[in-house]
Amino acid sequence: MGKVRLILVHGLIAIVLGGSAYDILTRQEHWPWSNYPMFAQVHRTSVLNWYRLYGVDDRDRELPLLKPAYLWPLDQSRLSIGLRAIAQEDGSGPRLREAVANALERYEDRRRAGEHDGPELRGMRLYSVQWDVVPYATNFESPSSRMLVAEVMRSGP
Amino acid sequence: MTRRLAMLPQAWLRFWFSPEPAASLGIGRLIFFTLLAFFYLPHDFSAWGTVSLAYWQPIWLFRWLHLPPLSPGAISTLQAIWKVALFGAAAGFLTRTSMAVVAVLGTYLLGLGHNFGQVYHFDAILVIAFWVLAFSRAGDAWSMDAWRRGSPAAASGEYRWPVQLILVTQALVFFAAGVAKLWTSGAQWFLSDHLALLLQRVQYHISDADPLVPWGSFIASTPLLYHGMALTTVVVETAYPLALFSRRLRAPLVVAGMALVVGIRALMGPTFEHFLFINVFWVPWHRLLRIADAGPARRTAPPVSSVQET
Repeated sequence: MGKVRLILVHGLIAIVLGGSAYDILTRQEHWPWSNYPMFAQVHRTSVLNWYRLYGVDDRDRELPLLKPAYLWPLDQSRLSIGLRAIAQEDGSGPRLREAVANALERYEDRRRAGEHDGPELRGMRLYSVQWDVVPYATNFESPSSRMLVAEVMRSGP
Repeated sequence: MTRRLAMLPQAWLRFWFSPEPAASLGIGRLIFFTLLAFFYLPHDFSAWGTVSLAYWQPIWLFRWLHLPPLSPGAISTLQAIWKVALFGAAAGFLTRTSMAVVAVLGTYLLGLGHNFGQVYHFDAILVIAFWVLAFSRAGDAWSMDAWRRGSPAAASGEYRWPVQLILVTQALVFFAAGVAKLWTSGAQWFLSDHLALLLQRVQYHISDADPLVPWGSFIASTPLLYHGMALTTVVVETAYPLALFSRRLRAPLVVAGMALVVGIRALMGPTFEHFLFINVFWVPWHRLLRIADAGPARRTAPPVSSVQET
């Protein structure tokens, strides 16, 4: 290997390893580097708080939107964490409503395109849901509390 | 002590640049990009172009480079070029160009989703591997480029450092995960009921995909099982870098690392499947080739005794 090439390769090694070391030592994430903190924080309580979108059909029944095909590429984890982050911003109301409206539009567009077989929706509600975690999630349908965070209903017929 | 310090530069050069045949890197490239090409072939990134900007929470790289979410049409074009480049890199056709395109477009396409609410860790190491390979001479063997060129490449450090850098990066991924657990929670990570709670929580559809098997609640009801699994996880993750230096520990640690990834996917949901592809670089392909080459020769050679008789 020539000298210039050797310097170039060492530069690349320094960037790749330096990025990893920096994130590990400072406990930060700079994608594609990371300190890989997933699941690191110990849970001390069996209470689970989660932001969840519910579809509203024409008889005002609510349906938790769980199937990945409903809102793809948005998924349960990304939606909850992303929407919570938006909700915690000052004056987040209009942005949150726009996000939920986009989810409703996405659901309906995908339903009409045959990407999923869910019912037609006339609205969507974002709740902060709380469960006391039990084996096999047998209380999934009956959370201990639900708080409405945002709501969007389609206008017209 | 001084003597040992004086040996460090040599050890460093040996670790990264000992001459290796081009085959290991070449076969690693071929398998790695083939797996990725088929994995991503049905994947449509253009849907990100239809997600409202209300969700846009850019990560540092996109903020720093002022990278916007493009329109669905533009993303479709980029992903078509990227997928062709993945197959090109796998086949070793215009290898350096193909791998450079894979790295540049792959950084955008794989990074795009992380700007919409959450940063996942499934594909970060793939992007780093793209860039390492883009600077490598991975097309010097087992490629259309090498076949057209004709003359085989001589052993060189050029064929070792990319593999080593990818493996060190992977070792750091596991090590970081182990350190994060110990740093954040200490021994409580495996002494408390934390893992049991985690396994119960994911039954509530909170991950990017649901667990493949519903065994989490059973494991969560068996303290010996979940404490054992938690301790094993931390030990494997923090000890993983030893795989780089110990031949004896390499296979068990690499297999244990793969089992962790499979276990997370099966019991908890996160879709880490493509993270497994990086493991192709642990295989010493040139040694396997030598064994495969020696095999038929051994089988066809007459027994020594019969040779002596004639």
